[in-house]
Amino acid sequence: MGLETVFKEGFMTTKVDAVVNWARSNSLMPMPMGLSCCAIEMMAFAGPKYDVARFGSEAMRFSPRQADLMIVAGWVTYKMAHAIRRVWDQMADPKWCIAMGVCASSGGPHRCYGVVQGVDNFLPVDVYVPGCPPRPEAVLHALMDIQENIRNNYSLVNDYEFGEPVKSVAAPESSRIVAPYNV
Amino acid sequence: MSRDATKNAETKTEQGRSPEALKFFFTPVDAPRPVDDRNKNPHAKSTTWVPDVVDALRARFGEDVLGVEEYANEHSVTVRKDRIVEVCRFLKEEQGFTYLADLGGADRFTDEDRFEVIYNLVNIYGGKRIRIKVRVDEDDLVVPPITSVYRAANWHEREAIDMFGIRFEGNPDPRRIYMPEDFEYYPLRKEFPLLGIPGSLPLPAQYPEGPLVLDPFPAAHGSKPVKSYQEPAPEDEDASAH
Repeated sequence: MGLETVFKEGFMTTKVDAVVNWARSNSLMPMPMGLSCCAIEMMAFAGPKYDVARFGSEAMRFSPRQADLMIVAGWVTYKMAHAIRRVWDQMADPKWCIAMGVCASSGGPHRCYGVVQGVDNFLPVDVYVPGCPPRPEAVLHALMDIQENIRNNYSLVNDYEFGEPVKSVAAPESSRIVAPYNV
Repeated sequence: MSRDATKNAETKTEQGRSPEALKFFFTPVDAPRPVDDRNKNPHAKSTTWVPDVVDALRARFGEDVLGVEEYANEHSVTVRKDRIVEVCRFLKEEQGFTYLADLGGADRFTDEDRFEVIYNLVNIYGGKRIRIKVRVDEDDLVVPPITSVYRAANWHEREAIDMFGIRFEGNPDPRRIYMPEDFEYYPLRKEFPLLGIPGSLPLPAQYPEGPLVLDPFPAAHGSKPVKSYQEPAPEDEDASAH
């Protein structure tokens, strides 16, 4: 009973899980990575009308050390992608990511050389919110999805047993790059 | 749905009406309009019609004014490239065009005189606008900077340096402005592809302390950044019933 059986859920684990996940999901502290126009809708989502405080997420922490949910709102350029990845790496586990808007989900209308076509090219995204910009209610829905994910899929076992540290991901096979054009 | 099954069940010919004739609207190509149509064209703005400034330029610079285009009630003066600083100084100090509204490059994609630098100058108190163009050949990409005349030209020239490769020797800050410093290409040239050269802009790593990724679309090629802890797979049965 308890934590000694690694991936077997004992009675204590699941009960403690339920409580801890309830606490975590109801006090998500978003790190608003508000890069462009979607940031305005994120501010609306935090404002009084589409209040996110009723979900416990009013404490928007701009320091990654204090946040556990990163909301990437707006398009990401290749230059900014490195900064965002650094910020993501500095966030403590467990952490989740919302790609807000079409620009963060897939590049959106900016199909060009400077914009990363989707933040999932370098961040593990949990929820994608379509829209340009998405309504604040859509972002609230995404937040509720994350809450459901935490309650159902997260376990304290993760906090104690990380599994193998991630040293290599299946490297994209397109490290064969098409030869650059003759400029 | 409010679609009426009886009304729309028959085609128009069956209903007795003829199908609408398709109309093709071609963009009409006008004959060039008479240039001074301020009295007839209500949209013509008087700020852009500056024949007196053009005459003053011609009088002062003579051979260096290579051409004047008058279109849509606007004047575009093409000037020889090495005289651009004197032209701008003349316009600023003697004609009162104290405001540089815009400076930009363009790629004409022709064999000779491939690039063009366009200067939009405004005389605020006189209410006049003029456009000065300078043609730059691909083999001789050097243009004198006008930062000594207009300080605002600094960043606009940096944009032309970054996007076209046009060199402004004498610009106090000749760095790239949008793309990273070690970027090897010039994005607004016509042969640069819209989505860029794959591998020219690296993406950050897929996991902490990993290598930079040169592929611009790793997600489309099946690579998925993972979290540093492993999430359990979502269970199929009702997970909340423990």
